[in-house]
Amino acid sequence: MSLLRCATLALAGLTMTGCAGLDAEHSAELDAARASFQSVKEDPQVLRSAPKDVIRAGESLGRAERLADYWGSADDVAHYAYLSQRYSEIAREHGKLALDQERAARLELERQRLQLALREAKLISVQEQNAWLEEQIVNLATAQTDRGLVMTLGDVLFDAGEARLKASANRTVLKLVQFLQLNPRRIVRIEGYSDSSGKREENLALSRARAQTVADALTDLGIDAKRIEVQGFGESFPVAENASAKGRAQNRRVEILFSDEQGRLGATR
Amino acid sequence: MIYRYTSAALALLLLQGCASDPAPTEQMRLTEQVVEQARTVAAGETIAELSQAEEKLARAQAAMAAGAYRTARVQAEQAELDARLAEARVLTLRSQAQLTELNRRIGRLRDQLGAMP
Repeated sequence: MSLLRCATLALAGLTMTGCAGLDAEHSAELDAARASFQSVKEDPQVLRSAPKDVIRAGESLGRAERLADYWGSADDVAHYAYLSQRYSEIAREHGKLALDQERAARLELERQRLQLALREAKLISVQEQNAWLEEQIVNLATAQTDRGLVMTLGDVLFDAGEARLKASANRTVLKLVQFLQLNPRRIVRIEGYSDSSGKREENLALSRARAQTVADALTDLGIDAKRIEVQGFGESFPVAENASAKGRAQNRRVEILFSDEQGRLGATR
Repeated sequence: MIYRYTSAALALLLLQGCASDPAPTEQMRLTEQVVEQARTVAAGETIAELSQAEEKLARAQAAMAAGAYRTARVQAEQAELDARLAEARVLTLRSQAQLTELNRRIGRLRDQLGAMP
């Protein structure tokens, strides 16, 4: 009788050690699974995109916890903790994916909008645009001179006494870029001029800086810097009298000299 | 007598609880399918979780052949989720690459349009 009882007890003891005893490693796995589940179940994005995986993560975790509390084997606890952990990770990935896809959809719309705008800017056919642009360039204070085709950017396109271009110059610069893109063999010389008020050296420096600003704007938009020459003339070669404010404003200018189709520029002044 | 029955019942319970599991045929089929799908989606990309899934599936298959059904089930269940996670990771990696590409294109378009008022 007592022998039997001992045997039963021993058996029960064996069961306990064999199946139930949770070592540190397994309880760490259980904690990790708990933490993972906690984080996904509180993430609305994850809940929305992978509710089933979150539920399964919770179910597996529940199983692992019940096994740990009552009668289960440590291996089973580890197994269900592992499964729970995996379900949580899968749910998190699905949440990330859904977020990425929403973002991608928004960006795709933005991309299409920009592409349309760019196409519009470039107009329908290259030929049409070429004719249109040439017309525009000619309209835009371009003059056929003995030096060739010259386009003048007036003082109003610059901040007073500064080399920086105003935003209102953007349209002109873009047209210039498009013209040069459509006429890849043409090159330009950008010449800066100033009025005669102030020091000669300062005027020279400012005129050169303004010409360089225009050149930079062109290279920023993809025109090869090799196609652009830059020169500052300061107060030389005025186009109007320096006596009046109006005349001085006319003298403060940037001239863009276009080469012919073969890339030949007129001689420098 | 009563004790003998009790211990016999206990032994039986033990056997049922820990040892004799039914053959996890359905789980094996499912895992094989999921691993295969993850492999297709990954298309040659190296994903740690996919390697884990393949190793565990191999272990599960060996255990099935040896009649160790409990091990087979455990390995197959883990392999299934490893493979599902591998697949999900591949997809998020791709979506992130797609986002980078989109941002790059938008940046380029903005650059070109930069001069527009």
